[in-house]
Amino acid sequence: MKILVPVKRVVDYNVRVRVRADGSGIETGNVKMSMNPFDEIALEEAVRLKEKGIATEVLAVSIGVPQTRDTLRTALAMGADRALLVALPQDAEQDLEPLCVARILAKIADSEKVDLVIAGKQAIDNDMNATGQMLAAALGWGQGTYASAVDVAEGSVQVTREVDGGLQTLRLKIPAVITTDLRLNQPRYVALPAIMKAKKKTIEDIPLETLGIDITPRLEILKTVEPPTRQAGVKVHSVDELLSKLKTEAGVL
Amino acid sequence: MFLNETQEEVRATTRSFVNAVVRPAAEALDREERFPAEIYEEMGKLGLFGIAVPEELGGPGFDTLTYAVVMEELSRGYASVADQCGLVELITTLLVRHGTPEQQKLLPSIMSMQQKVAYCITEPEAGTDVSGIRTTAVKDGEGWVLNGGKIWIHNAPVADLGFVLARTDKEAGNRGMSIFIVDLHAKGVERGPKEHKMGQRASQVGALDFQDVRLGPNALLGEMNRGFHMMMSVLDKGRVGIASLAVGIAQAGLEAAVEYAGTRKQFGKHISEFQGVQWLLADMAKDIEAARLLVYAAAMKIDHGLDATRSCSMAKCFAGDMAVARTADAVQVFGGSGYIRGFEVERLYRDAKITQIYEGTNQIQRMIIARELLKKGATA
Ligand SMILES: Cc1cc2nc3c(=O)[nH]c(=O)nc-3n(C[C@H](O)[C@H](O)[C@H](O)COP(=O)(O)OP(=O)(O)OC[C@H]3O[C@@H](n4cnc5c(N)ncnc54)[C@H](O)[C@@H]3O)c2cc1C
Ligand SMILES: Cc1cc2nc3c(=O)[nH]c(=O)nc-3n(C[C@H](O)[C@H](O)[C@H](O)COP(=O)(O)OP(=O)(O)OC[C@H]3O[C@@H](n4cnc5c(N)ncnc54)[C@H](O)[C@@H]3O)c2cc1C
Repeated sequence: MKILVPVKRVVDYNVRVRVRADGSGIETGNVKMSMNPFDEIALEEAVRLKEKGIATEVLAVSIGVPQTRDTLRTALAMGADRALLVALPQDAEQDLEPLCVARILAKIADSEKVDLVIAGKQAIDNDMNATGQMLAAALGWGQGTYASAVDVAEGSVQVTREVDGGLQTLRLKIPAVITTDLRLNQPRYVALPAIMKAKKKTIEDIPLETLGIDITPRLEILKTVEPPTRQAGVKVHSVDELLSKLKTEAGVL
Repeated sequence: MFLNETQEEVRATTRSFVNAVVRPAAEALDREERFPAEIYEEMGKLGLFGIAVPEELGGPGFDTLTYAVVMEELSRGYASVADQCGLVELITTLLVRHGTPEQQKLLPSIMSMQQKVAYCITEPEAGTDVSGIRTTAVKDGEGWVLNGGKIWIHNAPVADLGFVLARTDKEAGNRGMSIFIVDLHAKGVERGPKEHKMGQRASQVGALDFQDVRLGPNALLGEMNRGFHMMMSVLDKGRVGIASLAVGIAQAGLEAAVEYAGTRKQFGKHISEFQGVQWLLADMAKDIEAARLLVYAAAMKIDHGLDATRSCSMAKCFAGDMAVARTADAVQVFGGSGYIRGFEVERLYRDAKITQIYEGTNQIQRMIIARELLKKGATA
């Protein structure tokens, strides 16, 4: 079984994100970038399936500016067998929209004869939460989103989903698309020898032109603004005062 | 800018491990003076012991700069943990350079921490002046008989293997010492109690006593009577390691101080708004950066095969002094809280002090810098 894991290069989750002065987006120059945490979880799941002998090959794919190679290098160190980069020009300003990403991934899934796609449920930069779903539609495959458990059986995969109020279990026919939730697994720390070994692997380039996909944006971002700063709290002196404030000022009781 | 993509990746992976596993454990480890075997087991799996061991011998084969990066990150979490990494690095470097293929078979178990090592030089009469050691190894048939005692040996209370400097020729001074690999569970080895230290309290330090300990023919590491020179040959790297460890301690202090200054209010304002506090923070940041750059320069000189002695001593001396002064500033920013157990900066201040003492005291570093200066000239 061959698994494709899309990995995205995003602003590191520890970085305090700043909005550009002109409101056109967020500051990414001179900012630490890392693999999207949900994608790490997806990759970890794929690598575990390989270690269990269920998967035969794990393919990491990224679409982005040339520095995205670093993210793919990390994917190789975490255990991906191969890494493919669809390079965008250095000045590619905005993210690709989920629909474009899904179409590109669909092409690759098709040409690589992939059996399973495990993707992060969303990227922490724009929180779109759409690529996995659109990819399943583009391929005509079943989808199991927000997975908190994945069990592969002969020709099918059982996905436990985190939904409001509980867990839902689906059985999908393979090929299928799965997107990962936070509690699926705890991704491994990359071991130092693995970093060294990953250095020797090549990252395969797929020129965007060869895919024949139009990446012209369909969405327009009007403005990006900082969230309002949190107001200072107040100290209350008694339970009665707290209750009265919750009733009158906060209006929650 | 100074680090390549691989070194950045090593930093990132070490940092995420440290943030999740090491830094949160430090307070309790310090309080309990406990050897964190579980952390070391995990570090072994991640390849954080024996960083320069070449790939043919089962290591990741990284350079000295990468080692420095790892040491800073580990120490930012907890200096005792970094010091364990530094100790294993010295021992594995000696084994890689001087070990026989038979002796190099020890590497995997040392790098996974299944066998804990100790580097045994210091004696009651021989601290800074190593030539004063009295431990002897006397030829006896195929092997040797070891007699003497060592003090303040890191890992002594728990170690399995000692790398022991002993006199093998009484008349020959520095040319009469050799290094032996000693099974510390062997007959005739006695361990003293663990010492209770000011800082780095998870590091187990104690004395070792050797009485007629029999060593086999394979116990000699490297050439006979070349032990002193072998030891000196890894000192440069050792000093880069300790300098980096000092930078890591100070960096943790800076992070804590900046965070605290931005939350603590006095006179109706965050104390970070007072210039008096800002200048403390600014001095911490600039001195830490200066020390870090000295460390990088020293490490790069080693990696490029240049004469690194002066640089390594400068880095070790500057970084050690800096760490003591700047963790004191971190305590200052915390006010009274900084003096109380349980606040990270209180521990950092204690952990920093030893960096001026071990791996050659800072007076000795100054002696070396001056000697190099007077011998080779002052031109940069
Ligand atoms: C926590 C800890 C861990 C240690 N781990 C190890 C270990 O694993 N293995 C090991 O072998 N040793 C270890 N040591 C020992 C350490 O290396 C020695 O403490 C150090 O070398 C200094 O020696 P000393 O304590 O005998 O001090 P001394 O040599 O007695 O020095 C006392 C003072 O005199 C100064 N001084 C000495 N000679 C001169 C001179 N010529 N000019 C100017 N000043 C001078 C020193 O700088 C120092 O300030 C450890 C020590 C500690 C505290
Ligand atoms: C061991 C110990 C014993 C003590 N004993 C007593 C006692 O018996 N009785 C008692 O009442 N108290 C006692 N204290 C409390 C002590 O007096 C306070 O810790 C001290 O006044 C500092 O206050 P703070 O800790 O709140 O620090 P903070 O006031 O929060 O100061 C934090 C940092 O901000 C700086 N800072 C604050 N304001 C300014 C400013 N305007 N400009 C520039 N810098 C500023 C401070 O200098 C400090 O570096 C004790 C404290 C300790 C640690």
